[in-house]
Amino acid sequence: MWLRWFVFVLGLVAALLLATALGTIALSPGQVWNALFNRGDAAAITIVQVLRLPRAVLAALIGAGLGISGAALQGTMRNPLAEPYLLGVSGGAAVGAVFAVSLGISLTLVPLAAFAGAIAAVLLAFFVAHAAGTRGDARILLMAGVVVGAFANSVIMLVLGSAPSNVVRDAVWWMMGSVAAATWTDNGWLFGYLLVGGGALLLWARQIDVLALGDDTAAALGLDPERTARKVYAAASLVAAATVAAAGLVGFVGLVVPHIVRGTGIRRHLPLFAGSALVGAALVVLADLAARTIRPPAELPLGAVTAIVGVPFFLARLRRLV
Amino acid sequence: MIRYEDVVVRYPRASRDALAGVGLDARRGMLTAVVGPNGSGKSTLVRALLGRVQLGKGRVLVNDHPITDRMVFARRVAVVTQREELAFPLSVEEYVALGRFPHLGGWRGAGSGDRAAVERAMERAGVEEFARDERQLQELSGGEWQRVRLARALAQEGEALVLDEPTTFLDVAHEMSVFELLHQLAGDGHAVLVVSHQLNLVARFADEIVLLSAGRVAAAGSPDDVMQAAVLERVYEWPLVVTRDPAVGAPALLPLRVRRRT
Amino acid sequence: MFAIVACRDTRKASFTTHDIVDDYGHAVKLAAPPQRIVSLNPATTELLFAIGAGPHVVGRTQYDFWPDSARLVPSVGAGMRPNLEAVLGRHPDLVVMYASSDDYAAAERLTAAGVATAAFRMNKISDFARIAMLLGRLVGDTTRARTVVDTVTATLDRVRRATESLPRPTVFLHAWEKPLMTLGAGSFVTELVTIAGGRNIYDSLPAPSPVVTLEDVLSKNPQIVLVSPLERQMILKSARWQTLPAVRAGRVVAYDTNLVERPSVKLGEGAVSLARILHPGVLP
Repeated sequence: MWLRWFVFVLGLVAALLLATALGTIALSPGQVWNALFNRGDAAAITIVQVLRLPRAVLAALIGAGLGISGAALQGTMRNPLAEPYLLGVSGGAAVGAVFAVSLGISLTLVPLAAFAGAIAAVLLAFFVAHAAGTRGDARILLMAGVVVGAFANSVIMLVLGSAPSNVVRDAVWWMMGSVAAATWTDNGWLFGYLLVGGGALLLWARQIDVLALGDDTAAALGLDPERTARKVYAAASLVAAATVAAAGLVGFVGLVVPHIVRGTGIRRHLPLFAGSALVGAALVVLADLAARTIRPPAELPLGAVTAIVGVPFFLARLRRLV
Repeated sequence: MIRYEDVVVRYPRASRDALAGVGLDARRGMLTAVVGPNGSGKSTLVRALLGRVQLGKGRVLVNDHPITDRMVFARRVAVVTQREELAFPLSVEEYVALGRFPHLGGWRGAGSGDRAAVERAMERAGVEEFARDERQLQELSGGEWQRVRLARALAQEGEALVLDEPTTFLDVAHEMSVFELLHQLAGDGHAVLVVSHQLNLVARFADEIVLLSAGRVAAAGSPDDVMQAAVLERVYEWPLVVTRDPAVGAPALLPLRVRRRT
Repeated sequence: MFAIVACRDTRKASFTTHDIVDDYGHAVKLAAPPQRIVSLNPATTELLFAIGAGPHVVGRTQYDFWPDSARLVPSVGAGMRPNLEAVLGRHPDLVVMYASSDDYAAAERLTAAGVATAAFRMNKISDFARIAMLLGRLVGDTTRARTVVDTVTATLDRVRRATESLPRPTVFLHAWEKPLMTLGAGSFVTELVTIAGGRNIYDSLPAPSPVVTLEDVLSKNPQIVLVSPLERQMILKSARWQTLPAVRAGRVVAYDTNLVERPSVKLGEGAVSLARILHPGVLP
């Protein structure tokens, strides 16, 4: 049983080491090790500490956030296909980013616009569900999220349809996800959001265990199912929005990682969140490594690589379920 | 201990009240059964207790107080609803252990007292070997699942137990053992409220029967009082005969086939 | 794919275009020199004015600002995926457009509407000469076109000779930040850099604007970074760009992207401006 955790942690550490060791410029393991501790060749230190490490850390934070967010949403919505972008986060963030890019706002403000767009979309989804007369029924909220997402897509198409090609290129690249421009400041912000949102989800893990039994049983065990679910949606969406603001849309991670962790036999949500954070982090770190080393000198979009890496895992899991 | 006072509930967009002024008192030390035809409002009573439907009028009281804190409620009253579907795999033991949630809250770890409560609950419900064999919920038969749900409720160690159709899917041996258990719990001082359509079982074990019809109480009292052919025929809209079962001494219902052969 | 049949210039006497095939592979059907031309591309607009067809240009895109007199021509909106109604509203007898895959349908619709359409794509400097001469034939005056081509060619040759024997600095062309894009062998700018006496570190990549990683740029260690004026400050201040020795040494130079990246009559001046950056003082 403890073997699982050992593998998870080891996997993440190995992924991080690989990500700092590999790249276009070949560095020996010794050089990398020294560089991490400010010893040795100045160029190596710069490459490791300024170029590779921030990227790897950002990738890890994103994977951890998406993993926890996905696991929380799957449990609360009692739906194995739920994922962090479900409640309109991806659509709203993309609208925010596309608007910012097309209005020519400074590139540094695009993440802020994306974040604002994501939050606005989630609030809109809640509003739509509420107006449909539900008390937080997961299915209605799901549909509201789909509606908001579809609306966001049409807005994006409208804006991009009449935009000059450089705006389209910026927007599309953003939507495909990338950690190439990672800075320690970005990492700091994301870590802060993870601490708050992810921390809240960890705190509510047992409540989510109860929620996963169904609204009636949850009420019988002392929860207000709608209120608890709303709390979880808010925290999970906050974390997802923060990851999107930091690196664009990185799909599939939030959907696949909880399934991978469940596949190792973990069922309660507290260990599920911890496992999802570790496995998600490792997955995205490796995906980013692949994105920047598979077809040099080109860099593939991160979102594309995570999907390609995630699909075989997911298929393997599906086979086990059937 | 659980009292309904003039409770009125109407579902949104419904043409009539699901409960049209129901009064009921499930007292300690008694097994109270709620019976009635489909659609008479039996399950709505349970939902009203859980706060899953809005009360149009009236109140539901626990120990003479309205229900304000759900967690406190869950420590006093254990409810098993009619249906429960799981989305994700879970082991029997983990599931029953969640019955301790109202006592643990969000973050207190399960102590030896909690573990003992879970063991006791599983024994009383007759599912202790499921824990030994590490059975998973999704592998259970319908009847096994019912008993595990009962175990969860027992793990809550409340003063009252409310069950909606607890004998669905159970064979005769398990039906009887569940009702024997409920009878015992009532004897120990719990308030037991059972919604059931099994009139004959109810007639043998219940201390008090409440007969619902179209959202109202059509009759209430001891089994002998309520199990009268005239009342039952009118409520169930089916020809039937009430006999007294010689072996057991409790009233028994015999529905008649529609084309009578005299 | 195209074919050009060299023919001696005459103005209108033997005007024939049926052998002219544009970059979509379509023949351009004009019976007489066009009187009303709509140009959907800054480069061709500038070219048309330069070869003397300015008075006949009745429509341009909203981004065509050269030469200055072009601004007096009414705009018909975007050049890519053009608004066909606006174009047809100018009653053109010739539409000159950019041969991108997006605009193929537009070209077909215009031809179906009975308007002669010529689509060109300029990737390399050799394309410039070809297209300038084709345009000259299309407007019925190849003399001026010839002069334009010769002038540009002469300037390019002058620059090339001046820098030929000088040591060539390695150059990184920063085209875009997110994603990090540069210009490759497929772009005429790489040719201009070579003519101006430098070497684009990505001249081995065939694509016109490939995406690259910063680490790869670092491994090639360019001596100079050429960037658009808007991005220069960002690069100088960015922690990750500081990993490049060239950035640390401040060798980040803004070049006039409007001038250099116009594949038109200003090619020569573009080469001159690059040469002045890469080899200061060599060209007066």
